[in-house]
Amino acid sequence: MADNGDDGANVSEPLDLVRLLIDEFVFVKLRGDRELKGRLHAYDSHCNLVLGEVEETIYVVEDEDDETDELKTVNRKSEMLFVRGDSVVLISPYSGA
Amino acid sequence: MSFFGFNPSSHNQTAPGFSQAHDPFAGLRREDDGEELEFEETYDGLGDQLDETDDVFNDETFGGGGSAAPSSGAVGKDFDFFGKTAQVATAIEEEHVRFNRQQPPSKVAQPAPAPQAPYGYDYQQFSQPIRTGYEKYKETPIDDLQVDASLWGVAPKKHQSTASTANASASAAPTQPAAPPTRKILSLEEVEAQMRAQSKKTPQPISQVQAPAPAPVPAAVPQVQQPHYQHQQQASFDNSFQYHHQVQQQYMPTPADSARPTEPTQGHVQRHSHGHPMTILQRPQSKHAPSPGAPSPLYRQEQAQPPQVPQPVQAAQPVQAAQPVQPTQILQNPNRLSGDGARFNAGPRGPRGPPQGPRGPLPMAMNQGAGNFPAKPDLSQAAHLSEEEKAAFLDQEAKRAKRNHKIFLMSRDNGIMTPQDKNFITRIQLQQLVSATGNPNELGTDESLAEDFYYQVHSQIQGGHRQHPSQPLNNFAQTYLFQTGSRQGGMRRGHRGADNHVQRMEQQVQRAVEAAKNKPKNKQLVIEGSLGKISFSNAKTPKPLLNIKRTESSGEANRPATANRIQTSVDGLSHKSALRSIEIVYDTLMKMEDNERYRPPHPANDQDTEAIQKVIAWEAEARKLNDKLWKALKVMEPVDVYPVHPFITLLSYSKAMKAIPRIFRNTTQEQRTTILTLVVVSLDTLDVVRGAQVNTNDTQLNAAIREKIDLFSHSVMSTLFNFMNELDLDLVSGILGIVCTRNVDAIAKSKIGASMLTMILSRAEIIKHGGGGNQQTWQIWDATYNQFFNLLEPSLPNIFPGTVNSGEDVYVWQLLAAIGIGASPDQQQRLVLAVKDRVMDTVGLAKTLPPDMSAQRLANVNLFMRSIGLDVELLQ
Repeated sequence: MADNGDDGANVSEPLDLVRLLIDEFVFVKLRGDRELKGRLHAYDSHCNLVLGEVEETIYVVEDEDDETDELKTVNRKSEMLFVRGDSVVLISPYSGA
Repeated sequence: MSFFGFNPSSHNQTAPGFSQAHDPFAGLRREDDGEELEFEETYDGLGDQLDETDDVFNDETFGGGGSAAPSSGAVGKDFDFFGKTAQVATAIEEEHVRFNRQQPPSKVAQPAPAPQAPYGYDYQQFSQPIRTGYEKYKETPIDDLQVDASLWGVAPKKHQSTASTANASASAAPTQPAAPPTRKILSLEEVEAQMRAQSKKTPQPISQVQAPAPAPVPAAVPQVQQPHYQHQQQASFDNSFQYHHQVQQQYMPTPADSARPTEPTQGHVQRHSHGHPMTILQRPQSKHAPSPGAPSPLYRQEQAQPPQVPQPVQAAQPVQAAQPVQPTQILQNPNRLSGDGARFNAGPRGPRGPPQGPRGPLPMAMNQGAGNFPAKPDLSQAAHLSEEEKAAFLDQEAKRAKRNHKIFLMSRDNGIMTPQDKNFITRIQLQQLVSATGNPNELGTDESLAEDFYYQVHSQIQGGHRQHPSQPLNNFAQTYLFQTGSRQGGMRRGHRGADNHVQRMEQQVQRAVEAAKNKPKNKQLVIEGSLGKISFSNAKTPKPLLNIKRTESSGEANRPATANRIQTSVDGLSHKSALRSIEIVYDTLMKMEDNERYRPPHPANDQDTEAIQKVIAWEAEARKLNDKLWKALKVMEPVDVYPVHPFITLLSYSKAMKAIPRIFRNTTQEQRTTILTLVVVSLDTLDVVRGAQVNTNDTQLNAAIREKIDLFSHSVMSTLFNFMNELDLDLVSGILGIVCTRNVDAIAKSKIGASMLTMILSRAEIIKHGGGGNQQTWQIWDATYNQFFNLLEPSLPNIFPGTVNSGEDVYVWQLLAAIGIGASPDQQQRLVLAVKDRVMDTVGLAKTLPPDMSAQRLANVNLFMRSIGLDVELLQ
C-alpha cells in the first residue's frame, strides 16, 4: 500500500494485479507441492509475500504400501506467514469456503 | 650515491614511510608545473606549501627512489670522500678567498650558496621522512654548521652545485654571470662573512634588502638549480657535511645528470626550478628552517635566488653577492614548520620582526619567510642599487613589508595542522553538511517520498538515513581525493588559496552532491542487449527478474483504458473494478496525506503574494487529489440505478472499510455528509446488513461475515458516529427520514443497522438534552420519529439475535433504549408490549444464570427499561 503510481488501478505490470489482492484472501501455489490460502498482507517485486490467517496444504506421496502410492495432504495453519518469493508459483484470488 | 655502504638502489622504496609518503603528491606536482609562475604573483597559502614541500622531496630524502639508483651505481661504495675533497681543497680555498675579495662579482658567488641550501634541505628531508626526524636535525648538523666556522670554511656544501654545474670552471668563473653555479660555492661562513661585511659597509634599511632579488641573472638560474638538486640527492646519501667537498667535483657531474631523469620528484622539481628557481629553493629552505641557529643555509639560498629573478637590472650588479640575507626568509618558511619543524623554527625565529618581502616574483618565498626572518640581510643588497632602483625598491619594499607583516600576523599559526589534519577536518565538515541535508540520494525529492513513503518516514523517525552506506561514502572518498589533489595542486600557487578556502569548500560540497546525484543513475549497470536489458546486480540492488521500463507515457496511455474499465457496469461494481477503485482510494489518500505535510503556512498578510501563491497552488493540488478520491469512491454515482450502489459495494471490502476513517479526514464536511447519507440510504443493501439478518434460531452467522461486521462497526460505524455527533438536528431528522424510506425491518434486523438506528436516535436525544435545535426542527424530528416508530414497531419482536440464551442482544437493548427515551408515553407502552416477551424471557433466564452473568443480562435489559422509566427490579 505504500506503492506509488498515479493510479492504484493502473495495471502496467503483473504485480499490479497482485496489488489489487492486498488485504484479500489469496490462493498461493508454492514449489514443493504446497499451497497456501490466506490474506495477503504484503508482497514485493520478488513475490515475497506476507500472509495472514494462512492455511497451508502440503501434498505428500507416501509409497509405504508397496506399489500403491498414496496421496496424503498435510494441513497447517499459521496466523502469519512470510513466503519467500522464489518458491511462489502462482498467486490467485481466492474465493471459496 | 651510497653512503657508508648504504645501497640506495636496493632500498625498498615501497617500504612504509618511504615511497608512500611520496606517491600521493607525485601527481600533483606535475600539475603544478604550469602554475609555478603564479607563485610569484601571490603570497598567500604559505601553510599549504610547506606541507607539499615535504612530500615533494621525500624521494630525495629517502634516497631518490629508482632514479637515484643509477647515479649511485656510478659512485660506488668505495668512493674516497676524503681524498676527493682533499684534491679540491686548495682550489676551494682559493675560490673562497677570491670570492671574498671580489664581492662585486657576487653573482657568481650567489649560485654557490644555493647549493648549500639544498644541502641543508637534503639534510632536513633526510631526517624528516622519519616523523621524529626533526630531532636529529636539531641536534647536531645545524648547530654545528652555525657555530663551527671552520667546517663551513671548507666550503662544505657548495661542492655539489659548484661541481655539477661548473665542475671544471669552479674556481675560475666567479665573474661570469652565466657560469655562476660553477664558480663559487660559498660556505656558510663565507656567506655570513660577506653579509656581515656588507651590512657594515652599507647599513641600509630592511626594505632595501629586497631590491637585490630582482637582480639575478635569468640565464644562470636554471643551471644553478639543477646542480642543487643533484647536490641534494648526493647530500642525502652522504649525510655528512664533510664529504661535500669531494662530492662537489667528482660526484656532482654524473649523479646529477643521471639522477634527474630517473627521479620523478627531482625531475619535477627541476622543471620548477627552471621556471622559478625560487620555489625549489624555498622548499628546501623550509625544511631547513627548523635549525634556528644556522642562517647560513638560508643565505645561500637567497643568493641563489637572486640570479633566478628575471629582472635585468641587477644582472650586471655585483651586489647580489651581498644579497644573501633575503632569500633566507624563504628558506625559513614557517609553513614547513608544520609539526616538529614548525615548533623548532617558531621558537628562535618567530619572534623576529616580520620578514621582508622577497622579490615580487617570489611570493611563496615571501609568505613562508614572513615573520621568521630578520630584515637585516637586505641592507647589503640595497647598497648596490642605483638611486632610482633604490627608490622604486624602497617603495616596493614598503608595500611588501606591510603585506608581509600582515601575512606574518596571520600566519603565526601556520603549520599547526598538517595537511592530513586539514583533510580530515574537511572531510568531517563535508560529511556533516551532507548529513545535515540528508542523503543526497533521497533528499528533498518528492519522488523518493512517493516511492517509499513509509521508509522515508521511518528513517526520519529513526534519525539515521543512509540507505546505501557505501554510496555516499564512495562519493565522499572521491570528493575527498579530488580535494586533496586540487589542494596540493592549488597550494603551490597557494597564495590565492587563502580566500579561496571557502570557495573551494563550497565547490567540493557541490561536487559531493553532484556525485551523489549522479550515482543513483549508475546504481545498476545496465547493458542494452539484443534481448533487452541485462542488468547486473549487487547486494544493494538485487537483480530484478523483470526489468520493465515504466515510462510516464505508458502510464498515461494506460490510464484511459483503466478508467473506462472502472466505469461501473449496469450490474454494479465488479469485483476487480472495486479492488481497483480501492487501490486508487488508498493511493490518493496517501498522496493527500503526503500533500498535507507540505501545506504552506498561512500568509502573514495580504502583501505576501508569494505565500499566497503557495497557498493557492497547494489548495489546487489538494482539490485535485480530493476530486480524485471522490471520484474513486464513487459516492456520486446515481442512487437506485444499480442493485447495489458502487460505494456500498466498496464498503463490502474490508480494506475499504478500513479506509473510511482516513477518507473522512480528507474530505469536506459536505462530502462526509454525503457519504453518511449514502450509507444510510443504502443501509439495507449493505452486505453487513443484508447478509447478517438475525433470525430467531441459534444459527450463527459465518465467521467471515461476523468478522466483517466487527470491522464495519469498528472502522465505519465509529467514524460515522463521530461525524454524526457534530450534526444538527435537521440533518439528523433528515437521515432518520431517509431510513424510513428504506427497508426498516431489514435494517433493524441487523446489528449494523440497529446500531445505526441507535446512533441516529441517540444523537437526537443528545441534542435535545443539550438544548439544541428549535421548535420547528423538533417538530420535524417528532414527525419523522413517529413515522419511524410506526415502521419499526412490527419488527420489534424479531430484531433480537438468536435466542435468549445467546446473550448477544446488547445492541438491541441499546436500540430499544434509544427508541424508548424519545418515545411518547403511548409509544413507550407499545414498545413494552412489543418486546415484553423478550424482557420476561431474559429476566427469567437471568435467574438461572450465575450472579455475574445474570447481572449482565439484567443490566442489558435495564438499558431499555430505564429509558422508559421502568426497572427490571419491578419485574422480579
